Amino acid sequence: MATNLTRLLESSIRSTNAAAVQSSMRLFSNQQQQHQPEDDDEEFRVLNLRTIRQQARRREFKKEAVQPPRTKRMAVDQDWSAVWSGPRSFHPASVPLPLRQGYTERGAAAPSKYANAELMKIPNFLHLTPPAIRQQCEAIKKFCTPWPKGLETEAKWKRTFPLEVVTSDYCHSLPTIRNPEARRVKITLKLSDLQFDAHAKDKFLRLVGERFDRETGLLTFVTDRCPTRKQNYDYALYLLTACYHESFVTEPWEASKSEADMEQYLFERNQAKRSAEAILNWNASREEKVSPPSGYAESVEQLINEGENEYNIAKYKEEVLKLLKIAI
Amino acid sequence: MNFLKKVLPIAETQLNMANKSALHTSAVCCRVQSGRYRITTKRDRPLTYEMANPPHFIGHRKTWNSWNTSTLKDGLRPSQTAIEDVFIRKFITGTWHALVCSEIIIKRQHNTIRIAAIIRQAISPRKMYFLIGYTEELLSYWMQCPVTLEFQTVADKKDVVFKYI
Repeated sequence: MATNLTRLLESSIRSTNAAAVQSSMRLFSNQQQQHQPEDDDEEFRVLNLRTIRQQARRREFKKEAVQPPRTKRMAVDQDWSAVWSGPRSFHPASVPLPLRQGYTERGAAAPSKYANAELMKIPNFLHLTPPAIRQQCEAIKKFCTPWPKGLETEAKWKRTFPLEVVTSDYCHSLPTIRNPEARRVKITLKLSDLQFDAHAKDKFLRLVGERFDRETGLLTFVTDRCPTRKQNYDYALYLLTACYHESFVTEPWEASKSEADMEQYLFERNQAKRSAEAILNWNASREEKVSPPSGYAESVEQLINEGENEYNIAKYKEEVLKLLKIAI
Repeated sequence: MNFLKKVLPIAETQLNMANKSALHTSAVCCRVQSGRYRITTKRDRPLTYEMANPPHFIGHRKTWNSWNTSTLKDGLRPSQTAIEDVFIRKFITGTWHALVCSEIIIKRQHNTIRIAAIIRQAISPRKMYFLIGYTEELLSYWMQCPVTLEFQTVADKKDVVFKYI
């Protein structure tokens, strides 16, 4: 009896040791997990001559054995992206890291990863490890095309593509992928990229109004009146085109612009020019008629448009002296 | 009538006085109880980590149970999302009857809903797999989007207990 007991004890110790070793050691993937076969106890069977009435035993509820955590069987050089391929809530049995999460009073250890709801709540990036990202980048590399030649710097591609289109995409956690805010389209253009004459530029700026920023010289159209982005983009381009071409049209009523409607003083259509001509062409025959010099015209325009200041008045004086050929 | 003329101003002042005294001047009534648990005399009320931290610690010691973009500023369909979350919680606690040991965590990503919880190992794995499929199928039919269950199992209810009060 005693020998039996000791043998039983020994065997149990051996088996538990083996199990412990097996559970604590994690090997490389090419090594085999060693499993020691348990040696059977060879016992003589007992012959029972008297039959004992078998008692009707109560059926025990057999609880199925729970598998040990997967982390104990993981090789140290396994392919992690195969274990955790996509976004997933944290699971302690698949993550071989001794993680802890949670607030405890001073001195106590934070709750471990097992049955820790906090770890399941926070979004994890276990599927976006650097090797996984590298792997995915390699996979999509075949869809990439080389960057077009001649467009290396911003200055270069700005010259080729002067129009800038800004749209917003919205990612959200809803059954629908639509967001009404995504319909807005903003197109930006430098006014210097468009070609105008003086009348067309003036008319264009009047047509676009607030959409032109004088300080930066940028023209901005924001459209959001149509339900989809495509329609809004088309509408913005239509607006730009229509304004540009409309600015070159001269309507018949534009000729009736009187001096009171002018927003700037122009030497050409004012009394100053006529007076200067009258002085210059005093008693001159028709062929000898001269027009006032451009320097004088400029100084008069400057004086009236910018207002009287020291520089403008001095310039005007100089030009008048030059015009009248007076030497001081 | 003359009598009334005399009485009216007095009555008016009386009424004003009455209105003044109707002002609530007792101690401030700002007691909050929701999400907080009372200490028992035997100190044997089990609390999970989630229950042990009252709601004002959300964002400091514990996080939200629902993760979605509806709660952001100008988020779309906030009310529908909240109602759906309540429905999902009720459905899961009812379907996994007496098995759910933690709060049900609902994470939404684009059109997928990922539901996480801690489940007791009280039923056989076969039944558990059946229930997972059943829940996913029905919920995805109702929500009109893919639903994934990401459960963690514990052997005993006591595994999730953080402290006793």
